[in-house]
Amino acid sequence: MSIRLLALIPVAAAISLALSAAVDAVALPLFLDTTGTILATALAGPAVGIATGVVTSAVNTLRNPTFWPFVVVQVIVALYAWGAARAGLFRSFRTAVPVGLALGVIAAVTSTPISYLVFGCTTTGGIALTTALGKALGLPPLGACFFGSFVSDFGDKAVTFALVTSVLHALPRRTAARFPWALRAIGVA
Amino acid sequence: MTRLHPFTLLTIAGALPALAWILPAPAGAAATAAVALVLTLTPGASPGLTGIGSSPGWRPGLVVLRAALLTAAPFWVFLLLLHDVPTTIAIGLRITTMVASFVWLVAALEPARLVEAMVAAGWSASVAYLFAATLTAVPMLKARAQRIAEAQRCRGLSPRGGIASRLRALRALALPLVLSALHEVDERALALETRGLRPGIRRTTLAPPHDPVVERAARWVLLLACPAALVWRLL
Repeated sequence: MSIRLLALIPVAAAISLALSAAVDAVALPLFLDTTGTILATALAGPAVGIATGVVTSAVNTLRNPTFWPFVVVQVIVALYAWGAARAGLFRSFRTAVPVGLALGVIAAVTSTPISYLVFGCTTTGGIALTTALGKALGLPPLGACFFGSFVSDFGDKAVTFALVTSVLHALPRRTAARFPWALRAIGVA
Repeated sequence: MTRLHPFTLLTIAGALPALAWILPAPAGAAATAAVALVLTLTPGASPGLTGIGSSPGWRPGLVVLRAALLTAAPFWVFLLLLHDVPTTIAIGLRITTMVASFVWLVAALEPARLVEAMVAAGWSASVAYLFAATLTAVPMLKARAQRIAEAQRCRGLSPRGGIASRLRALRALALPLVLSALHEVDERALALETRGLRPGIRRTTLAPPHDPVVERAARWVLLLACPAALVWRLL
């Protein structure tokens, strides 16, 4: 791994964690905590993306320990984003947003068993409340847990993919060309 | 407690939640939660216990305990909302153990000492750099996000209205933040190259943390206790 890619990992992880400040400013129910993972993968491939996801989870765990068991979701997000980058699906919102919505379903399916078995579906306030809503709608416990995860992940991952697409297209070509996957991800190379 | 080797602190913070989930609930989780909560009162994690600090009396000694309890409290509320009382107690005690252990770890462990310990133990300097650089970059980028938000508000950006206008506002806030962070990658890479940091390279530490035999043995005991408890539960 080159020094530039090594330097990218902490920057991308910090982006994931710092974006919460931007989300708070517009009061949207989003996490955007996989932005750095998806961006690092689209720029530099799966190894850098997975490393970014693991570092993001490790550092986030110091703030909220319940994040650590979900490190597996970050790894899956990185692998999925790599597939999207290989196929050039970051070329426009029209291709990126549906891919992000599908990732929302995959992330919800992955995180539901962890959330259910380890935390009894109480990982964050928003997810717990939507889980309670699912329970009130008559869903079984695991179904209510999936409902909670799905509601939070579905839109979040679509917005994340759209944001990463914006970033990749806003990067000057000279800067993008320094990262091995950036141009392919936006369908230029 | 802060004098303990960083690996010992990590082992304790990792083993307690593991045992909380492995040992039968609620007794096992209650024991681990009690240990984790007592740890938050130990000197080092709570500097006020030794009389240091501006607040008088015993209160500063409870800062870390209070942080742990405040972090764990919402989980109890949501558990009670979703589950019956026995399940709430069982899962709640496990989550409390996890939260208290990590809150104590953050209070007791200096990142710089952890990096020194990792490098002294033969870990690649790159791995140590990843964690240290992320920890320092997060507050820096958060402060920058605040400045960008203020600057965009001065230019008339409104974070109000429907979802579409909020998403547009989010883009106006997030894009400058992410792009400015990415432009720093080259500067960081140059700084690392100048300092001779290359992937896989090993470095010599100036002041490696003391790692007595007793602590190393204690770490192994704790690490082996987790699979042993698991085997005991399964049999």
